[in-house]
Amino acid sequence: MDGERLTFDVYEVFAQTDPLGPHQHQFSLLASSPEMAMALAQENFLRRREIYSIWVVRRDQIVKSGPKERERFYRLKKSYRLTEDYRYLADKWRRYRQAPMTPETMV
Amino acid sequence: MADAQSAVSEEKAQAALQELLWQLADDDLLVGFRASEWLGLGVHIEEDIAFASIAQDEVGHAQRYYGLLEGLGLGRADDLAHLRPPESRRNSVLLEWPNGEGQYFEAPRYDWAFTLVRHHLYDVFEIIRLEGLVHSHYSPLAETAAAILGEKAYHRDHQELWIDRLWRQGGEARQRVEAALALAAGLAGDLAETDPWTDLWESSGWWPGARAARDRWHQAVTEFWARYGVTVPPWGCPGNGRAGRHTPHLAQALAVLSEVYRQDPTAGW
Amino acid sequence: MTTREDPDRLEAFLARIDRGERIEADDWMPDDYRQQLIRLIAMHAVSEIMGALPEKEWVPKAPTLYRKLAIMAKVQDEIGHGQLLMRVAEDLVAPLGKTREDLLDDLFSGRLKFHNVFHMPAPTWADAGIIAWLVDGAAIITQGMSLSSSYAPYVRALQRIVEEEGFHIQHGESICMALAEGSASQRHSLQAALERWWPALMMFFGPNEADHPSSHQKANLRYRIRTKTNEELRQRFLTKYVPRIRSLGLVPPDPTLHYDAEQGRWIYQQPDWEWFRRIINGQGPASSARLTLKRLTYEEGRWARAALAQGR
Ligand SMILES: [Fe+2]
Ligand SMILES: [Fe+2]
Repeated sequence: MDGERLTFDVYEVFAQTDPLGPHQHQFSLLASSPEMAMALAQENFLRRREIYSIWVVRRDQIVKSGPKERERFYRLKKSYRLTEDYRYLADKWRRYRQAPMTPETMV
Repeated sequence: MADAQSAVSEEKAQAALQELLWQLADDDLLVGFRASEWLGLGVHIEEDIAFASIAQDEVGHAQRYYGLLEGLGLGRADDLAHLRPPESRRNSVLLEWPNGEGQYFEAPRYDWAFTLVRHHLYDVFEIIRLEGLVHSHYSPLAETAAAILGEKAYHRDHQELWIDRLWRQGGEARQRVEAALALAAGLAGDLAETDPWTDLWESSGWWPGARAARDRWHQAVTEFWARYGVTVPPWGCPGNGRAGRHTPHLAQALAVLSEVYRQDPTAGW
Repeated sequence: MTTREDPDRLEAFLARIDRGERIEADDWMPDDYRQQLIRLIAMHAVSEIMGALPEKEWVPKAPTLYRKLAIMAKVQDEIGHGQLLMRVAEDLVAPLGKTREDLLDDLFSGRLKFHNVFHMPAPTWADAGIIAWLVDGAAIITQGMSLSSSYAPYVRALQRIVEEEGFHIQHGESICMALAEGSASQRHSLQAALERWWPALMMFFGPNEADHPSSHQKANLRYRIRTKTNEELRQRFLTKYVPRIRSLGLVPPDPTLHYDAEQGRWIYQQPDWEWFRRIINGQGPASSARLTLKRLTYEEGRWARAALAQGR
């Protein structure tokens, strides 16, 4: 009962299901080493999916945005960065008897 | 008689509002222009990209302010941004000053330290100004200020992180920062100059806090540099942008900015 | 291919390629595969970075506030493409003990080539429109092909890039249409810009090597680093863009240009390939000026980069 207090590290688990997709955050688990975290990750969070790659990262090695940083993410909308500003082009191309270019037809 | 008087003061109040908007619009246009000259030439690829967003933010702010002036019936925003001659510009001289010697498409010898220190002085001032303007009685301005204010803390923090990094590096980096501060302080004397409009801005409610702005700015800047044991060199200015007295650098900047638009201001671009 | 490598391993690797599997940075790969990737991806990276410069000239000059913002965002994206591809290239050269600095030094010393063919003078605003519409239009066709490349990190970068290129093309269409619908002098400047860039657009895809592909081409096809020939890509470009260009009242500067229904292909005037060979060896009309500009600012920023690098 008066044994030493047990400590674990928290590991965050990221997984990629599609070789060309991103690693996505799954959840976190307690483990004693990166190897152990890796050994536990798949069966904890990814039992029902085919896995291509897993990353485990000790949480204290992740730099996270805190409340202050989250406030800094505020940005005004910049529609000039988005194709929505150019939607009018579709009508124009039709007037020129051309099909508007789409992401699929561009490549 | 009373009507005539109130008509006169109404006219004065309108002039004061316009003056304020010119300062806001021209400040952001010039600082955004100077920041945009770095695009593609930044000291580090990732930084090049981040700073390009800051440049866009500033030009975007200018666009909103010129839009407010357009709303007051003073002409189309693009005409206001591109066609006014240097003597009618109201930006601070600090913001028209080049990033360094040379043109951005030839042989620019830009000083990243000056760009950061200059932008930081401006960010600190702009935040103080916007904190007052969110209470403006001119509600389109109050709304615009509130929208813009949210982006400014990131700018200031970005500049501070860099200045801190350069300072702690010591050696050449620190020397450049010190030299940049001396140069910038010698240009920024007109930035927080609110006269002769201070009273009108306060009394008409266009800019609550105008009177205290300069002291607050000086204090914030002094405190920032005191962290590094630096006394801010004396403020000065080789002109007064708020009164339309500029350096030749402004004319050069405007010539570049408006080169294409001037070819045909009535055309669709 | 190096013979030092275990032939069984090599065979297994090629079998993976043939099965359509994707290769990761930490997978075993033959030296030759790595070298081909470095050659291609590092070149792609610096081409994006250098390619931003002709348009950058028009950033502060863009006519309206809106165009200023849009072209800033566009050029920013191009530097961003350079960043993504640089990171992919850096991970490939890391096992060889090299870094981003080495890659940029190679660029400045001329060892690392970039797409010189796009380093023409860009003397008018219409050039900025033509670049965004047609140069990006051409580039997206090769990049689209590379989406089926065998090297996964490259494909992941390209997915992001291709998505942004969609925006770039529309940005270019928008500029060109405004000029095409504008004053006589605006239309004239657009036609002149098209004429300036047309040979570069034809050359961009490289010579038709159907009968005797270069050893690089062969290796890249074998490794599925690329999946189409130069000529296939050029034909694709012509099919997509010639009708659109003509619909705006513009005339490509090639009187022989037409679609031959019988052969099922575009007939066009062969660009001056001798000139092309000189250009790819670093003698594009504006290449050296832009390279000098890039090198100068890179060196000028060294002190700041040093502070950033040591900032832990
Ligand atoms: Fe790109
Ligand atoms: Fe692009």
